[in-house]
Amino acid sequence: MKNFLTVLKFELMHFLKNKGFLISTIIICILIAIGLSIPSIRGVFTSSNEDSLDNADKELISYGYINSNNTLHNTEFLESNFPLGNLKKYSSKEDLEKGIMSGDLEAGFILESPSQYEYIVQNNELIDMNQSIFHESFSKAVQIQGFEELGIEYEDISQLLSPIIQYETIILGTDSAGNYLYTYILVFILYFMIIMYGQLIATSVASEKSNRAMEVLITSTDSTNLIFGKVLGGAIAGIIQVGLVLLTAKIFYTLNANAWDNMLDFIFEIPIDVILLFSVFGILGYLFYSFIFGALGALVSRTEDVSTSSTPVTITFVVVFIIAMSGMYNTEGLIMTITSYLPISSFLSMFVRVSMGTVSTIEVLISLAILIISTVITGVIASKIYRMGTLMYGNPVKIKTAIKLLRRQK
Amino acid sequence: MKLEVKDIYKSFSDNEILHGISLSVESGKALGLLGRNGAGKTTTIRILMNLFDADSGEILINGQNFRALDHQIGYLPEERGLYPKKKVIEQLIYLGQLRGLSKKEAKENSLHWLKRLGVEEYKDKKLETLSKGNQQKVQLAQTFLCNPDIIILDEPFSGLDPLNSQILKDIIRELIRENKLLIFSSHQMGYVEEFCEEIAIINFGEIVLDGNLKEIKSIFGQNRLTLSIVNLAPEHLQIIFKEQLNHIAIVESIRKNDVIIELLPTKTKNDLLSAILSMDLDIDKFTVYEPTLEDIFVKKVGENN
Repeated sequence: MKNFLTVLKFELMHFLKNKGFLISTIIICILIAIGLSIPSIRGVFTSSNEDSLDNADKELISYGYINSNNTLHNTEFLESNFPLGNLKKYSSKEDLEKGIMSGDLEAGFILESPSQYEYIVQNNELIDMNQSIFHESFSKAVQIQGFEELGIEYEDISQLLSPIIQYETIILGTDSAGNYLYTYILVFILYFMIIMYGQLIATSVASEKSNRAMEVLITSTDSTNLIFGKVLGGAIAGIIQVGLVLLTAKIFYTLNANAWDNMLDFIFEIPIDVILLFSVFGILGYLFYSFIFGALGALVSRTEDVSTSSTPVTITFVVVFIIAMSGMYNTEGLIMTITSYLPISSFLSMFVRVSMGTVSTIEVLISLAILIISTVITGVIASKIYRMGTLMYGNPVKIKTAIKLLRRQK
Repeated sequence: MKLEVKDIYKSFSDNEILHGISLSVESGKALGLLGRNGAGKTTTIRILMNLFDADSGEILINGQNFRALDHQIGYLPEERGLYPKKKVIEQLIYLGQLRGLSKKEAKENSLHWLKRLGVEEYKDKKLETLSKGNQQKVQLAQTFLCNPDIIILDEPFSGLDPLNSQILKDIIRELIRENKLLIFSSHQMGYVEEFCEEIAIINFGEIVLDGNLKEIKSIFGQNRLTLSIVNLAPEHLQIIFKEQLNHIAIVESIRKNDVIIELLPTKTKNDLLSAILSMDLDIDKFTVYEPTLEDIFVKKVGENN
């Protein structure tokens, strides 16, 4: 136990002192802090600009139009309901074009008839909202004019066409729609953690082998201490990293909650039971895969071989991830039910099912028991493979072959 | 303390590498494990260190089953290596702690051995920034760190320059004086001859010769003499033996200016001496032959090949 703690501490410090680890954590935290502070920052700028609002009015972008053939009898509605800027009336096409070419006008429109207009612009850009927004304002103005000609009040008609209906949702089970985003975020975090730390652990084992440090290590302490210490050291480093990121997010959201108008409350107010379940299943799933990655690292001789050797496991994991992600739309499907018991996938599938659907406690407990037992067994096998792999130099060995060799040793 | 290896067999993928190796060594003595490249020295050592399990046979310490992790063993593997990107002192303390020392003891011992080996100034440097020889010394510090009772060194002198070899020689002598049990493998006979009272020669996975070095030397020297004659080339002397003295002795080999002679079974030194004197040859050297370890090795391993 003492040796396990020594290895754990050494491996944890290895992660924590690693410049890449420190820099990436700090950068992610800073980005999150900035991202969550944007509404407040914007608020500061807009409020300081309030005094100059009168001037701003003058600086609004101008547009021009020609009401040829007296297409609209009343242009007041069009001018006051054009949201992009000042819409000024012009009488000649030349003046309008001059205005556009000189840059005084952003664009111009010539109303030919209620069913036709010309859009004049200097440079047609890839993303140009002017025309579509004008189109909307113009068609509304034409509609109002049409109703007036028929002697109908537009207000009455518009209430009939888009009645204001209020409704309320009462959820008896889990609110999937509301939980979708935080479940999505948590599943994603877990995915990245496992892929990233799994590779790091595999590389760390392989580098001990290629440095030839492994022979000294394995004759100094039990291989179980070495691999458990390494994997758990990585797990704690990962938890610290994710913890810091989530803490930063929580602090900065709390600080900026007013500016956000509490819009993101549904992400940050994750129920405590979901957090607990995520932690337990997440950590176990993480350990399960880390042990496999650790064993993979022991079966190659050079760090360059790690990614090739771990491809099958990575692909399996990606498939598991995709199943869990698509399962978010239908938590009760057969595939989700099956994968929520398999140790290779239960930590994602069961979490998604609990978070977004309804699962009985006994089902969760069975899945958890399977995952715990499988993780321990994987850990023990991994430590045996690790020990056996110590002195296997040369071509990478497949996991299947390694297990066969282990059996033969017994 | 007595360490015994009894009748060890080991195969790798149906290819038997060790065919019944037996050895024994006691505290205060050094056993030299000799053999050509690939003879099975490192495999034997790795089985001793429990890195491999033997297919059959047993290893005993004071008559009890031996498990490497239960003892303080200073082990220098053939494949040297530690963490290249970590500070020297940091990794030595870690290894010391893994072998049961407290952090304080591990630090004290590390500094002691780094100083003893003359690399104390590099303690806060990353291992990869050290020269190969200095890295080797850090590796030696790692070996002696825990004040081990059993020391197993696999080719300890490879990669060391003469000055560093001298430092290591002094340490080894000191360890033997401190009553440590020492096993060391080498194919450099000179070193083995300097320290080892006991030797074992492994060839193709078998012990072809083992025992006390002095006794082995005297057995190999039996009935052999070294002879040289003033103003006579050894090749000429060889011809004289072939033509005129073949009823008393034969020339076994030529060594610089001397010839090594083996007496025929019924003949004595005096018989040969009188014969030479009667031939009116001016004797320069006439002594009992003492073989070097290298002679013994070449003869034994050569015979087996």
